[in-house]
This record gives sequence, structure tokens and C-alpha cells, in this order.
Amino acid sequence: MFGLEFPPINEILRWHDLFSSFNKISLIAVAAAVIGSLVFLLAGSKDATVAPTGIRNLAETSVEFIEDSVIMQTMGKEGLAWTPFLLSLFVFIFLCNLTGIVPILQMPATARIAIPLFLSLLVWVIFIGTGLKHQKLSYLTHLLWPPGVPVALKPLVGLIEFFSTIIVRPLSLTVRLFANMLAGHILLVTFALLSEAMFQAETYVPILTIGGILPFFMLVFLTAFEVLVVFLQAYIFTILTAVYIASSTHAEH
Amino acid sequence: MEAISHIAAVALTGDEQKKANAAIGAGFAYGIAAIGPGIGIGYIVGKSVEAMARQPEAAGMVRTTMFLGIAFTEALALIGFVVFILIGL
Amino acid sequence: MLTAVVTQSGSAYTVHLASVPPDSTAEQTISSEPVALATVTSDSATSETLAFEPQIAESGVVTASEAEHEATVEVNPGPSPIAPELKEVAWGGGSFVVFAVLMRYVLYPRLKKGMDARYASIRASHEGADATRAEAKAEVAGYEAQLAGVKAEAAAHIDAARQTLETERAAKLAAVGAEIAEQRAAASAANDAARQAVQSQIESAVGDVSGRAIELAVGKTPDAAVVSRVVLEVMSVGVAR
Repeated sequence: MFGLEFPPINEILRWHDLFSSFNKISLIAVAAAVIGSLVFLLAGSKDATVAPTGIRNLAETSVEFIEDSVIMQTMGKEGLAWTPFLLSLFVFIFLCNLTGIVPILQMPATARIAIPLFLSLLVWVIFIGTGLKHQKLSYLTHLLWPPGVPVALKPLVGLIEFFSTIIVRPLSLTVRLFANMLAGHILLVTFALLSEAMFQAETYVPILTIGGILPFFMLVFLTAFEVLVVFLQAYIFTILTAVYIASSTHAEH
Repeated sequence: MEAISHIAAVALTGDEQKKANAAIGAGFAYGIAAIGPGIGIGYIVGKSVEAMARQPEAAGMVRTTMFLGIAFTEALALIGFVVFILIGL
Repeated sequence: MLTAVVTQSGSAYTVHLASVPPDSTAEQTISSEPVALATVTSDSATSETLAFEPQIAESGVVTASEAEHEATVEVNPGPSPIAPELKEVAWGGGSFVVFAVLMRYVLYPRLKKGMDARYASIRASHEGADATRAEAKAEVAGYEAQLAGVKAEAAAHIDAARQTLETERAAKLAAVGAEIAEQRAAASAANDAARQAVQSQIESAVGDVSGRAIELAVGKTPDAAVVSRVVLEVMSVGVAR
């Protein structure tokens, strides 16, 4: 009766290439990097001696957020050297997520698997590299067997630990970010399609047009909810990165 | 009811039947995958709120740990969501 | 009559165009003709048939020679939604790496330098404020000590003054008391003298009167000394009574 047909998922996720090796996702990623750099560049060029306002306040708040609620909570004081990396990770993911609710763009760059996959592989390389640097080769044995495991259990524990650290960590980082943003995007598309179909129903039934307000309100509400998700996913990605790096700088006791 | 199922059996070719099964399976995949993490996240948040109410001075640490726990639990549901996308669409 | 068979195999769509003798009507071809054509391309997964309107065939767009040809139409199906695309990985990863490197070597140090400088100045002002506060506290303590000294001194002065006042008052009181006692003594002496005089007058008068009365009664003049002794006795008894 309504004839509402959901488009195939590639149609809501793919845009025509702007040119042969550059599409919208690439555009958003580049824009996120450029905007992030500009914000911090402008913030850095403002007068630092007075109380921070405007853009400098924004930048300093994000720096303090990373330092206080990410690093100090997970890595402690010696982790403060990681601030630039975690800060750029947070800002980049946040801006890439944010395009999902920016009008016209309406597509989170992280709802395609490419960027989450790259970032989590990068984090994977970094935390293994950090472990090797801090604990030398004993990191590899610590990776497999936490100290104090009975010899009889070593094969089992080693298998589980290897699986959870080497495979599940990057995979879950990727899937968490990607699937959250994709789910949010599909949700928004669903309600947008529903309200459009109800507003423009061909069989002109007034109740449909009026009832179309309901999915529209839901759309607005979900957009506000997406703001939360956008922030939370960037935060969780960053804090998990911090946890993983912290776990490889200290031997587990 | 019998008539409808009869029509469905006639109208669907083998390929369409496969697609329909995939759609049903996808729905179940996500729906069932969401049950456990839903309960788990409820537990985590509930206990965290309890802990924060008991010891407000430890609220920051509890909140961080809560988000970590939610993230790990939620991954299970999200794997179900990915399976839903893989087989359903 | 032109019939197009659109077949989908995987992600690619192929369109077969076939010309049919125009003796049958369009409505009938949908049911009869495409079945034969669909079996020709039996490798396809699904097949839909579309019957174009007859005037397209009559306009001669498709001649009999190119009646059966294949055209692959790209509908931009893209890869699976969870397969990463190389260009996205490259652009996204490249821009992130550039951003992270910029952040590490340019953006963050500049921002942090400013923040640290400001925090240092704030800390310095805090310390200055603390020093000033300590100074002020010392001053207040000194002032309070001084105040306590002054207060003690004042209290001593007051005590001394009170002491002198007290002694003066006591002395004056004593003097006044003595004067009063003296005057009282004088007054009582005068009183006693007056009473003595009055008593002796009364005695002599009573003696005279009793002597005279006895003389009148007895006819003899009594001894004055006896009379006065009796009178005195009677009067002292009367007074004692």
C-alpha cells in the first residue's frame, strides 16, 4: 500500500566518484584533516597569555579532555607523551563521524570500513611496536602468557591470548566504529525515507501526510542522538587505543 | 493462511526463495545478537551508577571503566550487525 | 517488435536485445516470447523481460543485423559494503598520517607552549599571591601582638586608677565615719547632760513638793536628805518599772 522500498545499501553508502580515484569519503577525510589542522593552527596563533576564548578555548578544551579523561585515567602520568597522537586520532575520528549529521554531506566517512580499518591497523602496529620497544622480546611471551600461568595451561591460554590480542583487538576496534556509524546512518536514512514517502504519498490520504510528522520528529531526535554517538565513538576509539598502548608499556603483573 | 503460503511457494523462484531466507536470517542474526549485549550493558551501567552513588569521588574512574566495559560488550552486538549486513543486503 | 532481456549475474547487468516478427501483439509477447529468449541465456541467475513499445522497432533504430547484441550496463553496484576500497584507505590514511604528523611536530607543541606559559604565569601569580598573603598574615600577627600589649597596658592603668580611687574612697569614708561618730558622741553627751539636769531638777522639785507635803501633813519639817533619798529610790523604781 505504501510502496516504501528501501534502496540497496550500496546506494546509500556510495557516491559517484568525484574523479577516478577520489570519492566523497576521501573528500571528507581530507576535509577532516584540513579542518582539524586549521583549528589548531588558528588556536595556536592566538594570544596565549590571556584567558582562552573562541577557537583557542575549543582546542585547549580538547587537549585537556584527552589529557584528563583519556590519558590520566588509563596510562597515568608517563603516558602524557602520547597526547599528540591520541589528540589527532580523536579529532580526526570525531570530524569524520560528524559529517554524518552535517546537512548536505550526511554521510559519516567512518561508515565505510576503509578509515576505521586503517586506523585500527595503525593502532595495532603502534601498540605492538611500543610493546617491543619497552619490553624487548619478553613482550612476545607476555603477550601469550601472563606471568604465573601453570605450564599445563600454557597452550590454551597462549591460544586465547594470541587470538584476543592479535586478532580481536584490531577487528573489534574497526567493527565498533564502523558498525556504529553505519547503523546510525541507516537509521537516519530509514526515517528520512519514511517521512518523505508519507509526505508525498500518491494515494492522497490526509492522515498519511499528517502522520509523516512522526517519523520526521524521530529523525530530528535521532540526529540529536547521533551527536552523542559521534562523540562517544571517537572517545571510545581513543580510550581503547590508550588502554592498548598502556597494556604494552607495562608488563602485566 | 494455507492459500498465502501456497501462493508464496508458487511465486518465489529458487533464487528469490534464497533471498527471502537470507533476509529472514539477517533479521534473526541481528535480533538475537542484540539480546546478550543489551542485558550486559544494562548490568554494566546499573552497577556503575551504583558505584558512583556510593563513592562520588571515584566517579571519573568508574565512568572510564564503564565506557570500556560498554565498548567491549557492544562489540558482540555490532558483530551481529555486520553479519546482518553481510547476509541480508 | 523489439524485446530486451535484462539479466543479472552477480553485480553486472547484461541486456540482450532481440527482434521478434511483429505479427504478435505486445501483450502476448510478454508471456510467450521471452521464455524462449530466457532459455538462450540460461547461464544467468535471474531474467526479467521487458517488451518495448512497437513504435521503437518500427522507427528502425535496431536493424535485423544487430538484432542480437550484448550491452553491459554499469549500475555502480560497488563492492560489498564491508570491503575496504583502496582509494578510501589511501586518502583517509594519508590525510590522517599527515594530520598526526602535523599535530605532533607543529600544532600541538605550539598550543602546548602557550598553555604551559599561561599556566606557569598563573602559577607564578598564585605563588606571589601566597607570599603576599603570608606577609599580610605576619603583619596582622604583629599588629595583634602590639594590640595585646597596648590592651594590657591600658588594663594596668585602669587597675591602678581603680586602686587609687578605692583607697581614696576608703579614706574619705573612714574620715566621714569618724566625724559622724564624734558628732554622735557629742550629741549623746549633751543629751545625757540635759537628761541629768532635767532629772536633778525633777528630783529637787519632787523633793520640795514631798517635803512640803509631809510638813503640811505631819507638821514637822523632814530631813531634806532623807526626803531626797526616798524620792530618788521611788523615781528609780518608777523608771525601772
